[in-house]
Parts: sequence; structure tokens; C-alpha cells
Amino acid sequence: MSEPTETATPTENADATGLLDRWDALRERESFSVAAAVAFVVVFPFVFTNLPAYSGYMSLVELIYIWAIFAIGFDLLLGYTGLLSFGHAVFWGGSAYAAGIFSANAYGEPLVMILVATVTAVVLALVIGVLALRRGGIYFAILTLAFGQMFYFLALGPLAPITRGENGFTDVSVEPLLGVLDLGTGFAGVFGAVFHDVGYVLYAGFFVLAVATAVRIVRSPYGAILKAIAENESRVGFLGLNVRRYKLAAFVLSGAFAGVAGGLHTIHANYVAVGSLYWITSGDIVIITVLGGIGSVFGPVAGTAAFLYVENIVSGEIAFWLLVLGALFVTVVWLFPAGIWGIVDELRSAVRGRLTGGDT
Amino acid sequence: MTLLETDGLTKRFGELTAVDDVDLQIEEGESLSIIGPNGAGKSTTVNLITGLLNPTEGAVRYRDENITGQEPHEIVQQGLSKSFQTASIFPDLTVRRNAIVASLGAEHGSFSLNFLRRLGSYNAVADRARRTLEDMGLYDRRDVKAKSLPYGDKRRLEMALALAGDPDLLFLDEPTAGMSPDETDDTVELIERIKEERGVTIVLIEHDMEIIFRVSDRIAVLNRGSKIADGTPDQIRGDPDVQQAYLGGVEI
Amino acid sequence: MSIAGTVIGFLIQTLAVSSIYVLVAIGLSITLGTLKFVNFAHAAMYLVGVYIGLAIALELQFTGDLASALGLGSVGLDAGFLAALAVVPVVAFGLGLLMERFVARPFYDRPDTDQILVTFGLLLIAQELIRAFVGGRSISFSQPEWAGGSVGLGPLGTYSSWRLSIIAITSVLVLSVYLYVEYTDVGLAVRAGTEDTEMLNLLGVRATRPFLVIFGIGSGLAGAAGVVGGPVFSVTPEVGVGVLVPAFLVVVVGGVGSIVGSVVGGLLIGAVEVGLQLSAPTWSSVGIYALAAVVLLVRPAGLMGTVEVDG
Repeated sequence: MSEPTETATPTENADATGLLDRWDALRERESFSVAAAVAFVVVFPFVFTNLPAYSGYMSLVELIYIWAIFAIGFDLLLGYTGLLSFGHAVFWGGSAYAAGIFSANAYGEPLVMILVATVTAVVLALVIGVLALRRGGIYFAILTLAFGQMFYFLALGPLAPITRGENGFTDVSVEPLLGVLDLGTGFAGVFGAVFHDVGYVLYAGFFVLAVATAVRIVRSPYGAILKAIAENESRVGFLGLNVRRYKLAAFVLSGAFAGVAGGLHTIHANYVAVGSLYWITSGDIVIITVLGGIGSVFGPVAGTAAFLYVENIVSGEIAFWLLVLGALFVTVVWLFPAGIWGIVDELRSAVRGRLTGGDT
Repeated sequence: MTLLETDGLTKRFGELTAVDDVDLQIEEGESLSIIGPNGAGKSTTVNLITGLLNPTEGAVRYRDENITGQEPHEIVQQGLSKSFQTASIFPDLTVRRNAIVASLGAEHGSFSLNFLRRLGSYNAVADRARRTLEDMGLYDRRDVKAKSLPYGDKRRLEMALALAGDPDLLFLDEPTAGMSPDETDDTVELIERIKEERGVTIVLIEHDMEIIFRVSDRIAVLNRGSKIADGTPDQIRGDPDVQQAYLGGVEI
Repeated sequence: MSIAGTVIGFLIQTLAVSSIYVLVAIGLSITLGTLKFVNFAHAAMYLVGVYIGLAIALELQFTGDLASALGLGSVGLDAGFLAALAVVPVVAFGLGLLMERFVARPFYDRPDTDQILVTFGLLLIAQELIRAFVGGRSISFSQPEWAGGSVGLGPLGTYSSWRLSIIAITSVLVLSVYLYVEYTDVGLAVRAGTEDTEMLNLLGVRATRPFLVIFGIGSGLAGAAGVVGGPVFSVTPEVGVGVLVPAFLVVVVGGVGSIVGSVVGGLLIGAVEVGLQLSAPTWSSVGIYALAAVVLLVRPAGLMGTVEVDG
């Protein structure tokens, strides 16, 4: 989307309508991305649940928002900083468990749960990050995988008394939002048509917040520094910047996003599965992010929608959907690194090329 | 004043001694060239000073402060800088973005938690980036991706990055490697300009003798890890050890 | 059982489990060390070994959805285990050659992350292809009859002869590969741990051939591991990854690029896993990953590694 684009915007041909110039300027503004996200959460449910065939359903829409938050954060690490973690499930699952266990034993107000989840994820990310980031490239990927699996087996085995092991944690107890608004409360009239119910506002609200935060991060000095680190790490150090700290910051930030998402997921599902810590979940988020398009804020959203749609809807018809998705994934890695969003971008450029009079 | 000095700097890699008890003094405002045959330990010495490697023995002092064993970013923050042999830039970022990253290092220190502040709100950073690019004649191409610059301009950008932080001491690692005579002349002029206009102390690793004798106030000669000579260009010219080290000598 | 018996039992169990890990790890290690190529798809070779091995030795039923749609029933040669052991490594070797030529080569110059991603994707495809044809249920791969029962080792007790067979087969294979690497030109490329094609050209060895052969050997070993491991570990599409991760740990612990290291690492990992399984079963998996994390942090080149890859 319109983060400060690094692609040199070709100077439009002199006859381009002033309208397109104004549109460009508008797109560049941060508020546009936020407005787009808001528009998305208003329009998407309608489109998604009213497809001519194989429609989605509201609960899936909410699930998409939740996973999208996870993916957006993951992309900060992979797409911007260039670090591939194969163990991010540890933040997703770890924070989910923290939220669930907290709600069962202390207090289950959603915002508090999410706070607990995020703090847990940040702490985990600091610890794992300090250790895993000592090595780069392949070792980093394998180290994160190792840590992820370690926590999975911890939850399955020794910590089973707390996590309930294989069966998952079923004692999640979610209170009304802010103490008064039960998540199932619907809204009346027009309000209801747009905002559906309190739960939807919660998930959509955090989704918009996540998008806004990610856009801001990308437009902050971090956006430039992280990209520079991905392109030429040693040079960044010689510009006086502490590369290791910035990498850790990126890692923790991506963990925080996963933490928020994990907490929301526990609220949404009222349950924490031990599979949320498994390497397959880590693999899923890699696929989602890459498929959607790394290096952008909206790419991961597209990837999440596509993946979850196929996983939940198409899978009913085509049992080997994961095979198809796998093939798509390989194709994207091989030939279209910019992912689904990149293809959308190309189409958009093609369309505007036509509109501005085309090339000779 | 003595800006930088090394004291018995030594680096061993197992059995191999790459740098052997090297003492250097670099005065503020002068330009020192470090020369020697291939494998003499020139780059390793510079890497030891700039923090890329840790010395096995010895110390490095900058403005009388011990900086031995510090990390490159810490050393850079104190006023040193290094320009790389290859054009070490950020290829997929625009020229302007390249300069901005360098300016961030200069203005904000080695780390900041400002991930929620708009980059556009930092005027000082933008100004510094602009000045840096204008100085190198790259400002008019600021929106171009760095990788599409011709090689000579990439080198200039690389130099710009090294200078963005207004360093007091600049290491130049074979700046004219692979350049045409014209480009070499330009580079030499650039070095002289930096020295005079900005008062930067320069440490140069070079093989091209012409440049060395044109630009240097003093020359240090390394061979097989040890310093074998240290003096003015005239002194070095006549030094028998130096001539022998180059095996038959170079046309000096 | 006597103490000696317990110890020997532990040793044999460890050796048996380690054998399978070692067979898989060697290919992973030399590919990473010599070709600097990260190959998650290596696990697919193991899967090939398991399923094709089963088809050759006994019979493979196609219960997957795609198979039903295509009307496929089953395939089976019922030719016995040894036939499978003879044929599968060759098939895997061939697949390895294809993979080097068509997958690895385009990616040598691409960043590590791309290599990991594409090979991970290929592994996923392999896994799902198998699920689509054979189905996802666990199948039984029974031990060959001649290896059933136990072998008496006199006063030391009796032990599963299958486990002893695994150890014997693995030892032969590993020793052969080791000798090949030590004493041939192709092996020189592995030992040099280099991808310097110019140097190899000077040696009179056509640059691409060693790469192909290295890939092939590694894949062949992984295929053999599948045949041997079929009766030991489960037979499901996910078993590939189940073996890949410990194999990676073996490579990490033992050292990238070193065959001896893979053996040492395999023994260590196997010992930790078996040891914990016997003493504190819930901690067995955690223990292995903790060990790997520690080694990676302390000595990223591994205990015997000769190459540090992009540390």
C-alpha cells in the first residue's frame, strides 16, 4: 500500500489529470491507510458473507482479522528486516495460553486478557530474541524453530498440569468488555448492520489499530533502518547504528503483534489448543505472509484472507487444498516474491497506465 | 593533538599473526596512508581499529580514550567513519533514503525507541541528508534507486554515507580500486576537498603510489603484519627497507 | 535385568534411533556444508523411502481422496524388505539429482531465506501429495520376518534383532559413504567444503558433477533411512518433518559439513532422546531442543563443524 514508496514513482506524463496527482498525494498520507482499514472492516463482512458461491461467515471474518494482526507483525520481521523466524508460534500460542490461564484464575475482562497476552509475548520475545539473534541466516531460522518446539513440548509434557496438555485449555472464562458489554450484544438498526456486535467491534477495532501501528512503524525511522539492515547489515553498523538492538526491537515488535493476536484468539475461540505452539502454526504464518506479499502492510492481510478462506471454506470441496496452497506458495517464492498484493499492485499500475494515456 | 593512536596492536588467528605489534600515531588534520604488499595486514589493522575485529593484544586510543574492543557503531558515534572498498550502499533504497539512514545514525545516536514517531517530523535529519547529498552532487537524483546509479556515482554515494555524520577521522579503504584515470582524479580531488574544507583527518589504504604521494602527509608501511617504516613521503621514498619489501621496488 | 543388560539395552536402543537420524542428517549436512544450500525438502526423500519402500516390500494402499477420484487402488510388489532397501536409495538418488538440477541450482545465488522457503514449500507439496494419494492415516510397515524376534547375546541378554539389523545396515552405508568421500575426487569437493567451481575445474573435475553426486548421495541415504525407519517410526505424511527437525538438530550439534560430526551428533541426540525417554519421558523432546539451542549458541559451527555458514 502507500507506505513511503521506495519504487521511484515515474513522473507522470504531462497530460495526467490533476485528479490522479491528487489521488497519489492522498494515498501517500498515513491517514489514508487507516481510513482504508476502517472502510475494509465495514465493507468486507458484507462481501465475504454474500458471495455467489462458497460464502464465508462472520466468525471467519473475525478470525481473519485476528490472524491478519499476527501476519502484519510477522511481516515487520520478515519483509522489512529480512529475518525468517520459524518459531513465531511460540508468541501466538504462549500469549494465548497466558490470556486463557489468566482469565480462568484471575480476571477475564477482554482488554486485560489482551494486555496479559501482549506482555507475555514481549517477555518471551526479549528472551528468545536475545539468544536467537546471536546467529544470523539459517541458524536464526533453526534456532527459532528449536525454541518453538521446545515450548510446544513443554506445554504438552511437563507443564500439562497448567496447560491441560493434549486436550487444550478449556477453562477460558471471558467476561464482558469493560465489565459491562457482553461480547455477544448486538446493535440495532443501521448501527447493527455496520458494527454487528460488541465482539466484532473488538476484533475489527484491534485490526484497525494494528494496521495503523504498523503503518506508523514503517513510516518512522525504524522503517528506513530495518530495510537498510536487510539490505546491507554491516554498513548500517558503520553508520553508528546498533544493528543488534534494532533487530531485537523488530523481533519484539513482531512478537507483540502476535501477542495481541493470540489474546484475541483465546477470547474468540474460548479455548487454547496445544497446536497453537506447534511448528505447523509457525509454518502457516510464514506461508500466509509470503503468499500475501512481504514488505507491505496490506499484503499479509490479503494472504490471511486467502489462506483462511481456503482452509475453512474451500477445504470442504477440495480435500487437497493444502497441496494447492503449497504449490501456490512455491510459485510465489520462485517467481512472484511480491505475492498477491504485488500482483494487485501490478494490475493497478497497468490500469493507471491506461488512464493516463498509456505509453507510446 | 594526537587524534588516534594504536599501541602494540596485535592480531593472531591461531598460528597466523596477521598484525604484529603495530604502533601508529595519527595527528589531527593530517592524512596518513597505510601501504604495503598484499597480505601485509593493512585491512586487518583498520578492522581492528574500527571494531570489526578484537585485537589479541594491544590497545587503540581515540582522543586519549581507550576504544579497544568497542563495537563499530560505538566507535562511529565517537567520530570515526569508514568508507568501504566496494560501493557499500543500500541498493533498493532511493539515494535520499540512503542518506537519511546515515543521517539517523548521526542525529539520533546508536539506538532509539522512536518507532512511533514520523520520520518526516525530524527536520534535522532531513536537512543533514540534503546537505550530504548536495555536497556530493547527488541531490538531483535523490529519488532514484541507488542500484540504478552508475558505478562512479555509487562510490560517491558510499563516500557521502561515510561523511554524513561529520566524522573527525575517516578511513578510506582503497577508494580508487577499479577506477579509470578520470575517476581517480575526481576521487583525489574529493579527498583533498574533504581534508581542507571539513578538516577531516584521513587514513588511506591504497596501492596507487601516485595518489599516495600526492595526498599523504605521512606514510606508514606494513609488511607481514609489522610496521617497517613511518615517515614523510620523502623519507619513505628513500627507505631501503621499504624498497626491499616491495621486491625490486615500485617506480616511486 | 542386570546393570550390564540395562546399559547395553540403552546403547542398542540409542544406536538404532541414532542410525536413522544419522542417515538423514548426513545428506543435510554435506549439502549445507559444500553447497551452502539449505534443504528442507530433504525430508521428502525420507518420505519417498518410507512409502515407496512399503510399496516395494509389501503393498501400498491408495486411500487418499485424489486417488479415489482417479480410481487408483493399490500398488505392491511384495518383493520383500531387502529388495526395497536395494531399490529405494537408487530412486532417491535419482530424485536427488533432479532436485539439484532443477531446484537447487536456480537458488544457489538467492538469499538463504528464499532457499528455506522454497524447499519448505516443496516439502509441504510432497507431504500433501502423499496425503492426497495414500491418505493421512497411519499405516503399519511391519518388520521383515527374518528380522523378527530377538537375538541372544549370551550372558548380555537378548535384544530385538530388528534393531541390530538397523545398526548393521546403517554402519555399512555410513562407512561406504565416508570412504567414498575420503578417497575420491568427488569426495574432495565435499572435504574442501567449497563451492569454488574454478578450483574444481582446475582439478579436472567438471564443476557440476560433484554437486549432483553430493545431492544424490545425501538423498539416497535419506531414502534408505525411510526404508529402515518405516517399521520404527510411524508411517504418516507428517513423519518427514518429524524426522527432519531432529536431523537438523544433529547437523547443528555435530557440525555442518562433517560426516563424522553427523555421526557424533546423531549419537548424542539419540542418546539424549532415549535417555530421557527412559528416565523422564515428558522431558525427552524438550531436552533435545534445549541441547540444540545450547550448541547453536555456544558453537554455531557445531562440535565438529568445519564450516560456519553465515554466522
